[in-house]
Amino acid sequence: MSEMKHDLAEKSNTRNEIEFTMPSRLELLVVLDTLVSAICKELDFDEESTNAIANSVIEAATNAVQHGHEHHEERPVRFAFRMAEDRLEIRVQDFGEGFDLERVEALDPTGPEGLFKSRGRGIFIMRAMMDNLEFEMDSGDGVTVVLTKMRNGAAEN
Amino acid sequence: MKIKQEAIGDVYVLRLSGQLMGGPDADAVRETVYSILNQGFKKILVDLKDVSWVNSTGLGILMSSHVTATQNEAVLHLMRVSSRIDSIFMVTRLNTVFRVFEDEKQALANFADDAKSTKDSKS
Repeated sequence: MSEMKHDLAEKSNTRNEIEFTMPSRLELLVVLDTLVSAICKELDFDEESTNAIANSVIEAATNAVQHGHEHHEERPVRFAFRMAEDRLEIRVQDFGEGFDLERVEALDPTGPEGLFKSRGRGIFIMRAMMDNLEFEMDSGDGVTVVLTKMRNGAAEN
Repeated sequence: MKIKQEAIGDVYVLRLSGQLMGGPDADAVRETVYSILNQGFKKILVDLKDVSWVNSTGLGILMSSHVTATQNEAVLHLMRVSSRIDSIFMVTRLNTVFRVFEDEKQALANFADDAKSTKDSKS
């Protein structure tokens, strides 16, 4: 019986995955931040990497709450933390309408035009701080941001 | 986020605590900065010692405060920024916009030096 349970766990990857769902309320980002810090500690990320991961997940969640769900707090934002031997992969999913990624990324927030603006830094921060950043928007299920940070200096394939 | 306010001579110090992340925070900081400028203060120092993190919306709040101060011929500096917030400043190059001081003594001395050099250049 216990062996069967073990097999099921392995197949669904639940041994290495933590899921978390929160309403679209910015004040709950504090709870998310605490969870991210704890996961990073568990995976032995150093302070610099922990800050980068926490800042990036907060950005993804901020975008989901503010832009994806336009602060409709009943809409859930879903997080999945997949802890692999060589990397931490975080999926942040909202159920909004999506956005034009190319247009957003065409604006450089560090350039003379963008530097003094009060918006437009979120995706830039995630891309700069994570090892890989991808957006899944074509499934009709809102936007999923996939953030990856390699562990112990492992190179990304 | 909480805001404590204190005037030290002609410098108005805003001590923020908690997380700077948008929502009601944006209005609170914006209104406070307007109020300080309306009182005639031209030197604003924002203390981030007790701010654990800032997101991009929080950076926007700081940037719009800086722009508002500049438009009103005032200056807004920051002090006591954590390594986590500093990392986000470096990436976004906001470290090239804001003057950031390590401690209050250094920041206040700098405001005094700025005032002296402005006075000297006018005489």
